[in-house]
Amino acid sequence: MLNRRLVLTLAFVGAFALPRLAAAEDVPVIAAASDLQFALTEIAAAFQADTGQRVDLTLGSTGTIATQIRQGAPFQMFLAADEAFIATLHAEGLTRDEGVLYAEGRLVIMVPHGSALQADAALSGLAAQLDAGTLGKFAIANPDHAPYGQRAEEALRHAGLWDRVQPHLVLGENVSQAAQFALSGNADGGIIAWSLALAPEVAAQGDFALIPNDWHNSLMQRMVLLPTAGPVAEAFYDFMQSPEAREVMVKYGFVLPEGP
Amino acid sequence: MDWTALTLSLWLAFWTVAILLPVSVLAGRGLAYTNFRGKGLVEAAVMLPLVLPPTVLGYYLLVGFGANSHLGGLWQGIFGHPLAFSFEGLVLASVLFNLPFAIQPAQRGFEAIPVALREAAACCGLSPWRALWKVDLPLAWPGLLTAMVLTFAHTLGEFGIVLMVGGSIPNETKTIAIAIYDRVQAFDTDAAGVMAATLVAISFVTIAATYWLSARLGKRLT
Amino acid sequence: MTLSVALRSHGPIPLDLSFRVAPGELLALVGPSGAGKTTALRAIAGLMTPNVGRVTAGDAIWLDTSASVNLPPHRRHLGVVFQSYALFPHLTALGNVLTAMPIPDQMEAQRLLDLVNLQGLANRRPADLSGGQQQRVALARALARRPKALLLDEPFSAVDRATRDGLQAEIIALRAHLNMPVVLVTHDLNEAQMLADRMLVIDGGRMIREGTTAEVMADAAALRTLGVREVAALLPAVIVAHEDDGLTRLDTATGPIFLPRIDARIGTRLRVRIMAHEVILSRDRPVGLSAQNILPATVRAVVPGDGPAVTLRLALGPDDILARITRRAAADLALVPGDTVHVILKTMSVARDHIARQTDPA
Repeated sequence: MLNRRLVLTLAFVGAFALPRLAAAEDVPVIAAASDLQFALTEIAAAFQADTGQRVDLTLGSTGTIATQIRQGAPFQMFLAADEAFIATLHAEGLTRDEGVLYAEGRLVIMVPHGSALQADAALSGLAAQLDAGTLGKFAIANPDHAPYGQRAEEALRHAGLWDRVQPHLVLGENVSQAAQFALSGNADGGIIAWSLALAPEVAAQGDFALIPNDWHNSLMQRMVLLPTAGPVAEAFYDFMQSPEAREVMVKYGFVLPEGP
Repeated sequence: MDWTALTLSLWLAFWTVAILLPVSVLAGRGLAYTNFRGKGLVEAAVMLPLVLPPTVLGYYLLVGFGANSHLGGLWQGIFGHPLAFSFEGLVLASVLFNLPFAIQPAQRGFEAIPVALREAAACCGLSPWRALWKVDLPLAWPGLLTAMVLTFAHTLGEFGIVLMVGGSIPNETKTIAIAIYDRVQAFDTDAAGVMAATLVAISFVTIAATYWLSARLGKRLT
Repeated sequence: MTLSVALRSHGPIPLDLSFRVAPGELLALVGPSGAGKTTALRAIAGLMTPNVGRVTAGDAIWLDTSASVNLPPHRRHLGVVFQSYALFPHLTALGNVLTAMPIPDQMEAQRLLDLVNLQGLANRRPADLSGGQQQRVALARALARRPKALLLDEPFSAVDRATRDGLQAEIIALRAHLNMPVVLVTHDLNEAQMLADRMLVIDGGRMIREGTTAEVMADAAALRTLGVREVAALLPAVIVAHEDDGLTRLDTATGPIFLPRIDARIGTRLRVRIMAHEVILSRDRPVGLSAQNILPATVRAVVPGDGPAVTLRLALGPDDILARITRRAAADLALVPGDTVHVILKTMSVARDHIARQTDPA
């Protein structure tokens, strides 16, 4: 009596397990830096509309993704916010080739509506708040592993504000989280990616100003196929370099490298 | 609403409970009934995941079964894909991380059985195995039920470990907790809100249903 | 299938005992608290392992430290009744009894419950049973295995007096069905004397005296351990008539006695526990005395004690009783073995629980 019930339960459970096991079609996982949140989602949708094929996106800080790739994460393509990470992975033999530049990223200072902080390209608003001693929290991505965070630090150093602003910093795990912090109302503002600020849902939340790109090392964003890449990933890689995709990238402020 | 992520979370919780149920019975009973040198150490080790931040555990798990480890290499050799960043890797991490939730309440449940009853069972001719089924489990089941409910609910909400060991891969390791995080970062607060509310509702219903059931069963037994 | 026990243990409760119990025989382990009675019982059951020991039941060797044999309790074919009943709360009375059967037999379980007078209560849970009823279930459960030995650990200490009397009467009635060795641990001397064939007095884990209840009761060393107020003897008697004034007339070997009304049929054979310190002796047959019970007896022995008292063993025909009087009184009456005396007993001094049926040999 007990045995029969046990067998039936196991069969029932097994039947449920099958659909999950069978769902393993070839939908490649594309890992990308968080600044591509909106741009890449749009491009992936266009890819699916054009070719009928699907890709799955997973976004995070460039450094974190690189570590995961070292740990054997099953990504098929990687779009980094800083080509240095790609170079290192390539040297370790973890990529198919050196990849290709797909964009240059830019920084903006962004403040939510109603913030006492003013957003301007020279960061003078930020300096003023620091002088007056009235600055609350200021968000950037974590310089340890997020390229946008590293560049934010460089820009702040260039403006001579780094030491004074440090005690006020909140660090986002990636630039998207930094944007969250900057606009959530708990911080006075932050330095985030231009590509995020240009997204309608983000732009609506505050004001921003583009930071001169000679205030920091350039954000050369490179993408590369990984060894496990299949035909769909390869098609997407090519699609990224197509005019259709490039148009979307421009919309989100990504300066394109002079391409063929 | 990311149904894939939700289903994945439910499966993760289910498998974690399924694997930990026999563990909680055997380990809970063993710790309740025996005294041995080093028992305190074992109990402390079991409780460790409760006090460790998920990131610490995640780190050690990556070291322990990441691509560069023996276990990871072995797994890759047999199955052709890494243990980390896979559903199976999540299950393993989840099982380890839920040990205190699964074992401690079970142990209390078994400890609540008066010693005289266990002795009586033995003097009735019941071997430890038969005594488990006829006496221990019918009396200790509230502790076991608590353990399984806690494990289920805790797994549904797991975030830090999944983030570190999982990699947010859809239909593989992107649980609903990760999906919520993902939607927040995409400034899609509506979707995040819907999923968060769903998670709360499911957890609440599960826990309430379990305790209602146990109250009914309890009335039958006492 | 004799139960043979030899135990030696250093502590925390030291033990140094050895005894045998024949099938159908009931041995009472008596002694002060902490003497080691329950420890000895647990060692027989396998719930505790002594440093050195050997326990066998017939051919079955349950414990033999010299041969590294130590069967766990569930492999020892015995039945145990615990002080706290230890019934399984999630099972009915019937369920409890069935659990102890290797092959569940509903009819046999029902029969056992009937045997202990629990008809109609088979489907009650322990929580719905009184203390006395629970203990009866425990007894039925202990017997369900057809055990090679029955162990009772202070089985009646948790119930009230009235219930205890009833349970003791049941045990006596059950003796015919208990054809295995029975070991009873109790601190109640009355219970021991009424139920047991043999007694073993323990103190500090060591055996002080072992023998029939009559022998032990008359033993000075045993009494030093048990307390002199417990000295008593069992007098066999037969109910002859129930009088109108609330008394029952019984016949003993050397004459009639009257006791407060006993609820039993004419012809029932009883044992009456006569406390030694309540016996008055007289050389001549007294007249004008309120006491109704005057029996001729012969002095067998005069045993001086430590204090002001002496214990006399007296024969009433084939039966023996004990009397404790002052040394001065013995000297005044110049009592020596062989003398004829009259034993005087107050009807009202015989307590209700000092009367029990005779146990027929199994």
